[in-house]
Amino acid sequence: MATSFKWELRRGATVTGKWNQGRYRVEKLLGEGANGKVYLVQQGRTWYALKVGADAVDLQSEINVLQSIAKQKRNGLEPFLYDVDDLYGPDGKEYPFYIMRYVRGLTLADYFKKQGTEWFPLVGLNLLGKLSHLHEAGWVFGDLKIENVLVGDYGHVELVDFGGVTAKGKSIRQFTEIYDRGYWNGGPRSADERYDIFSFAVLCIQLHEPKQLHQLTLELLPQNRSADELQQIVESSQALKPIAGWIRKALAGGFMNAKEGYEAWRVLMHRRDTHRPSSTPGWLKGLAAASAILLVTSVYWLLRNML
Amino acid sequence: MKQILLITDGCSNVGLSPVVAAAHAQSEGISVNVVGVLDQGDAGEMGASEIEEIARAGGGLSRLVNMRQLSQTVQMMTRKTVVQTIQLAVQKELKQVLGNGSIEALPPEKRGEVVRVIDELGETSSLQVALLIDASASMKPKMAAVEEAIRDLMLSLQARQGKSEIAVFHFPASRHGDDCAMDLGWTSHLNGVHAIFPKLQMGGTTPTGPALMQVIDFYRHGDYGKQSRDETDGMMSGYVV
Repeated sequence: MATSFKWELRRGATVTGKWNQGRYRVEKLLGEGANGKVYLVQQGRTWYALKVGADAVDLQSEINVLQSIAKQKRNGLEPFLYDVDDLYGPDGKEYPFYIMRYVRGLTLADYFKKQGTEWFPLVGLNLLGKLSHLHEAGWVFGDLKIENVLVGDYGHVELVDFGGVTAKGKSIRQFTEIYDRGYWNGGPRSADERYDIFSFAVLCIQLHEPKQLHQLTLELLPQNRSADELQQIVESSQALKPIAGWIRKALAGGFMNAKEGYEAWRVLMHRRDTHRPSSTPGWLKGLAAASAILLVTSVYWLLRNML
Repeated sequence: MKQILLITDGCSNVGLSPVVAAAHAQSEGISVNVVGVLDQGDAGEMGASEIEEIARAGGGLSRLVNMRQLSQTVQMMTRKTVVQTIQLAVQKELKQVLGNGSIEALPPEKRGEVVRVIDELGETSSLQVALLIDASASMKPKMAAVEEAIRDLMLSLQARQGKSEIAVFHFPASRHGDDCAMDLGWTSHLNGVHAIFPKLQMGGTTPTGPALMQVIDFYRHGDYGKQSRDETDGMMSGYVV
């Protein structure tokens, strides 16, 4: 269900928190999730993202998850919650909001459109890395989809919209049908690590073969939806061929968590045929491969040093 | 926790007002959610306002959706109503403790604790959802989507940690004298249920109000035996106009 308030915060407007008196200048709307709207705001010289919700309980429930994760930052999950407060909307009513770190980046689909799909293997690896941090801390992301993954420079990945994040063992709090394991008759709708891996596999298909995937949802009767049907798209896709085996295992629940998926993905990446054939000259390809490997190494090194 | 989920596409036209019936449900501690399933166009102004009124009287939510959104909407509504029901109970408790019933009035730090309790109860408390399906002629092309939504809801409920059950009814009943017919008694899984609505004879009037009353009655007696139905026929005739 979409957000249930219609007003917008105008550019240049100042939001003042009711309890903590934090003041934020609104720059622009960044996006809209199931529980609210996200704005780019500025305080002093720092940019933040402000999420305002219509329902205090819904938003607080999300904040609780963020706070629990923030306490576990040793796991490589950077702190991102700065302020929690209420604001007065243009209609005079109070609305809850929270301030988090602003992540500069493009959504997955936009990133590949702009930078090219040769970034896909690395971005996929980084995304699995993010998920594995979350899994190690006892959480399942839940609502993994293209719109909830931002990619920054050089394939750096951030998960956004934590409305679906669920403690292991509970029922998934928020999901999107085509990425949902239950929708494909692939297993329960409860939070285990394999749930995210399943969504990740669908996300790969959605990125490369969105039309076929959409067509499948229209054609199949609900009882006939299955991982096998998804796999057929993968087998017939040139772009997905190199990861067909990985996806098969992911859809079947063969990776127990993101860490296993990550390791298997990394092995794949170092095989030569993983990178999509393109019309670029050979020397450029070699250069790209070399820089990709360099990047993986540096990202890995960087991550290791940050943890 | 008890819920009734009414799925319909238009206006009731026989018997007790469904708004009155929903208010009865509310007084029995049953929340009533209403989903209006749209054709290509809209449900008509009458239908739309009735749907909203029923949910308001029943302390639940209402949404107008097209067939493709049905499953997702049913699932989210049920979840949201669970949270709301618990929220109301918690707010009542808060009123006694703080003299102030609203969660919004608490400072954000304290709100966190309260919401943690609400979330935990929402996941673990037992839940019953009675689905009441409008099977009048205009709903015929939508029944496949309705059945899918029911299966999808079951899937979501099965993932909860608390006990969850659904029951399914449709109206009008083909048999004379009944306002709705039971398709499925309380169950916590749909394994082996091939068709929830086998060969419905769809058509006739739309007795939404009386059908709601019959489901409330089902809740009250805990079963759908012939006996209880006989008992209530007399009682209900007082309500039925």
